[in-house]
Amino acid sequence: MKKSKNYSVLGLSLLLLISCSKSDEPVANSMTLHFNNTFKDNTIILGSAASAEASVNTSASGQRHHFSELRYVISNIRLVKVDGSEMPYHIADLDKGAAVIDQSKPATLDFELTNIPSGTYKQIKFGLGVQSALNTLDQVRFPTFYAIAGANDTKMMWEWGTGYRFTKIEGFYGTDNQTLSIHTGSTVEGTESDPSSYVQGVDAYRDIVLDLSTHAIVGQNAPRITIKADFDNLLSGKTNTISLGDGNATPNVHTARNMTLYVDNLGGDGTTDLTGMFSISAVAN
Amino acid sequence: MRVFTIIIGFVLLLSCSKEMPEDPFVFENPLLDLSIPTGFPEFNPAVYGNRPTTYGVELGQRLFHEPRLSGNNTVSCASCHNSGHAFADNKAQAVGVEGRIGLRNTPPIQNMAFMKFYNWDGHMLQLEKQVLVPIITHEEMNSSILEVIGKLSADTAYRHLFKKAFGDELITAERIFKSIAQYEYTLISANSKYDSVMRMEGAAFTEEEERGHHIFKEKCASCHSTALFTDQSFRNVGFPLNPSTQEAGRARVTGAAADYMKFRVPSLRNIAYTAPYGSFGQFIDLRALLDYFDKGVLPADNLDPILKSNGNRIPLSEQEKTDIIAFLGTLSDPAFIHQ
Repeated sequence: MKKSKNYSVLGLSLLLLISCSKSDEPVANSMTLHFNNTFKDNTIILGSAASAEASVNTSASGQRHHFSELRYVISNIRLVKVDGSEMPYHIADLDKGAAVIDQSKPATLDFELTNIPSGTYKQIKFGLGVQSALNTLDQVRFPTFYAIAGANDTKMMWEWGTGYRFTKIEGFYGTDNQTLSIHTGSTVEGTESDPSSYVQGVDAYRDIVLDLSTHAIVGQNAPRITIKADFDNLLSGKTNTISLGDGNATPNVHTARNMTLYVDNLGGDGTTDLTGMFSISAVAN
Repeated sequence: MRVFTIIIGFVLLLSCSKEMPEDPFVFENPLLDLSIPTGFPEFNPAVYGNRPTTYGVELGQRLFHEPRLSGNNTVSCASCHNSGHAFADNKAQAVGVEGRIGLRNTPPIQNMAFMKFYNWDGHMLQLEKQVLVPIITHEEMNSSILEVIGKLSADTAYRHLFKKAFGDELITAERIFKSIAQYEYTLISANSKYDSVMRMEGAAFTEEEERGHHIFKEKCASCHSTALFTDQSFRNVGFPLNPSTQEAGRARVTGAAADYMKFRVPSLRNIAYTAPYGSFGQFIDLRALLDYFDKGVLPADNLDPILKSNGNRIPLSEQEKTDIIAFLGTLSDPAFIHQ
């Protein structure tokens, strides 16, 4: 007993030593992603149907619209160095590597990436939504993200499909402020080649690839990258021009009938358009 | 440093006590003999990955009847899936915690081991994956899996049951899902009067049932086929639409306009026990449902081609309706209902 006590004390001292040496490393191995949700160049102000303050946008087909709720999930963040090497940021851990960006909660508009290797980064990749393999509402594996997404004032879950909502937009359109309610999410599960795991459905996850015209330099300072998400694209996107009406403005988009049109506008079509509504507006080193 | 030493001493003590010999436990949990009744299709492949065991099923049955699966400890699986109604209920739409009304009619739980799709929209292909859905759905049990694991782990009886079923006392999400699915796999209904007649075990149809069987084969069996009385396809048969904006039928899953308001063809086994009928209980009884088919269904772009080619209806005389209902009564399996 006595002997093992001594060993333990030794072990503890070692641990303490290790902890100390860790804090000697460079100080600024972090980076902040700031999401600026806009209609064209103007940051969105949310508002109820009768709101005088809410930002009103007009679509390519002439429909006025504004939002009362605006949320989306980002995950699968990867940073690409100038030499082309890719630094995945907790891509298999939704608790650390995913976030719900919520326009009504300013704190959620800044997502801080920590413990990033020093270096010069030329590109950022991330996903709008959650990849199918992690999109299972697994509270045991990811209790933090599950709690954030499932909160009563967030509601970013499709319980029936055991998956997360990727985008949730509530608002109003037209001269008489009709309701718009656009939700996106994946219903597909497993892989098509394996019938025992495969659930037929829609893949609403989109990979976003953005070049950093000003490189982000991690090491001395903590860069802040401002990512613009221009929701003008929702109805007037690069892929689809959408006119809201009975068949597509309210939750029947849950149905996924028209969902892909919105998904392609917001997150790109996954092949030729890998930016969707996103662009880099500033890199501050 | 003194404090550290004391703490370490405690840790060592705890570790030691853990290694103390416990009651000898031999993990013995025989597989149940699950056979495929005559004429039934193959098992869903998931059954082979989760073969029902004696204690797995015992645990699953207990969990199925456990109200602590719900947030406020009031609703169990069996609250809606009542054995007296072929593990469905007699409500138009499911009712969950605090009387919350669900989107759809409770589906019966029977012959699940042979189904390729679960739910009216076929979203789930594996029963194990379905178990979480009612637990977390606001209108059903309104809980979470960690909440459930916490409640069960505090109960010695459950720790014991998990040990018998899985070899140790650990209560995990996967074990909850697997044991409930195992129990449901054992809910096989294949001993109706119809089965007895088909297997020539001595029972005979009445004249009415015989006529009904004949009409059924002619006018219903193109969809309600096989020994399960469903071809497991998805069809829009023009039933009145659920006014909820959440509903889109199969299109909710596939995103295809062609699947809008299509639903899984229901099995007709034990149909006499599961009124009302339709995806949200549109029809109060079988007569009302047959009247609707006879009168002519609502139009839809993707209305089932068989109905379309018959002028959007299944013409039936009053006598034929009576006969079909009599035949459908032979699909009742009282031993299954009263288990």
